[in-house]
Amino acid sequence: MNSKPILVVGGGPAGLAAAHALASVGQRSIVVEKENRLGGAPILSGYAKLVPSGEWARDAIGGMVSRVEGNPLVEVRKGCRIEEFSGGPGDFTARLSDGSTVEAGAAILCTGFTHFDSVNKPEWGFGTFPDVVTTTQVEQMISTGKGIRCPSDGRKPQRVAILLCVGSRDRQIGREWCSKICCTVSCNIAMEIREELPDCHVYIYYMDIRTYGLNETYYWRSQEEFKVKYIKARIAEVTSDGQKLIVKGEDTLVKRPITIPFDMVVHAIGMDPNVDNKTLAPIFGVGLQEHGHIAKGSAYGALGETSRAGVFVAGAATGPETIDDSIAQGKAAAMAAFALVNQKTAVAA
Amino acid sequence: MPIHEQSLIRPENLKTHDKLVLDGVDVSGHWSTFIEPRVVTDYNEALQEEIAALPGGEHIHRCWQCGSCTNSCTVNAVNPDFNPRFWIYLIRMGMESELLRDKDIIWQCVSCNKCTYACPRDVFPEGVMKATAHWLELQGHTPKSKSTLFDEEFTEQVMATGKIEEGRIIRGFFAKTGQALMQDWLVEMAKRLARRLPIKLGFLMGWATIFRPRTRGWSRAGEAIEEYVHEQQAKQRKALSLE
Repeated sequence: MNSKPILVVGGGPAGLAAAHALASVGQRSIVVEKENRLGGAPILSGYAKLVPSGEWARDAIGGMVSRVEGNPLVEVRKGCRIEEFSGGPGDFTARLSDGSTVEAGAAILCTGFTHFDSVNKPEWGFGTFPDVVTTTQVEQMISTGKGIRCPSDGRKPQRVAILLCVGSRDRQIGREWCSKICCTVSCNIAMEIREELPDCHVYIYYMDIRTYGLNETYYWRSQEEFKVKYIKARIAEVTSDGQKLIVKGEDTLVKRPITIPFDMVVHAIGMDPNVDNKTLAPIFGVGLQEHGHIAKGSAYGALGETSRAGVFVAGAATGPETIDDSIAQGKAAAMAAFALVNQKTAVAA
Repeated sequence: MPIHEQSLIRPENLKTHDKLVLDGVDVSGHWSTFIEPRVVTDYNEALQEEIAALPGGEHIHRCWQCGSCTNSCTVNAVNPDFNPRFWIYLIRMGMESELLRDKDIIWQCVSCNKCTYACPRDVFPEGVMKATAHWLELQGHTPKSKSTLFDEEFTEQVMATGKIEEGRIIRGFFAKTGQALMQDWLVEMAKRLARRLPIKLGFLMGWATIFRPRTRGWSRAGEAIEEYVHEQQAKQRKALSLE
């Protein structure tokens, strides 16, 4: 095959899956990653055990990284961004931030998402009280082996509150989407806390529990085996009495206000569109959808299409997405891009 | 401004003082009526554990508040205040004082088990109701119910002799519940029984009343059962911190 390589933008689960899929059919690709390390959010943010496999992120995603990094058909460019992108299907040229230029037959945007920054919901105490943390921080407490501890003084918490929908489903901060994974991740984290600290009580404050599909198992197990408690309330504010965090809200099932002391409050943070999307979109000439994610072309016709021919998209770049679905989309986009650059045998989309 | 959730204001939370001065301000009388706040200020995690330690309450932690139990409930159809879903929630969140407001109706569960078959999570709400009524008795919030007293009399006789004798059970039950033995219906029943009872059967009944026959070889079995029952009771009392 003499076609030009396919440019894969982003080295997370979707990008790694796309590059590996392309290599497995003998297609060359170039993976451009802005960080100095491949793996995307699961590796860069130090996730612990993944849902639903239960595998450690460093093993599962680490395996994907090594099979791409060691592959002769994949050229990896780390610590590098794309600054210009021009041409048409089969004949694109990209200029990178290190000054070099690469030619590509097609591009797949696997640019992922950005974790919601909890300081944008100041009423919930993140940034004000050290014992208010995010799900990402709890993942790191687990994956580093340090265990669940209150950041303020390192003590083991006796009561933990997990607040769902932080940075999701909230018109006040312009985030009207459900981030899809936080319910399941929170159920999983609650079980991990109960496993490490059996005397610690975990309460999850929810508006709806969206452990869709088979993820329902996480909801059930967390209640039935780990006795995690679920309270239907959207918390109004998190304050402190100087010793404990005070969580205020309304317990909607008993129609009573609650003012409950906690040792630790965890924000189940959502998935924002990648903060770089506003610069990426004009560079690649692709459209964004209403919330700022990269817009998909056809939903059913050709997988991974964007508004520009020859530029494809996969994974959380298109909206909140799970790791396994990102991997599937990466492979689907690889298939579409491969068909495009090898049009002699393929029927054009 | 109208008060929208007026039903939430409870009479016992309305406070009026005939003579009260706060920070130099006279707040006496009807015009200065206070409403005590209903804010839940803490959870009591022990309450769920206590109910779960009693027979029937083991699966209370599974509840996700769908209301299937209350919707299917025989007693709720007659008395809307009888709400198993709500009590399960109060227990799980440890809202003991709220639960105690309903202590005089919780025992009304008729054990029809419709909730057992409606519950999607196998909480066994009927068992939870039984455990809760039992908890109320053990904690001294309610007196022992008549059915509990009957069960006790029955059990005591079985423990002692390995069998029961109906006349003795009725006497014991009446004594425990403070009822007169000579009740019209009972006297009438005895009279008619005496008129038609074969002589041999009448003799056996009289003999059993006086000599209290025991099941052969009962003492060892009885001791073992008694030991087990005491073990269970001790475990329950310990779980409820009653020791």
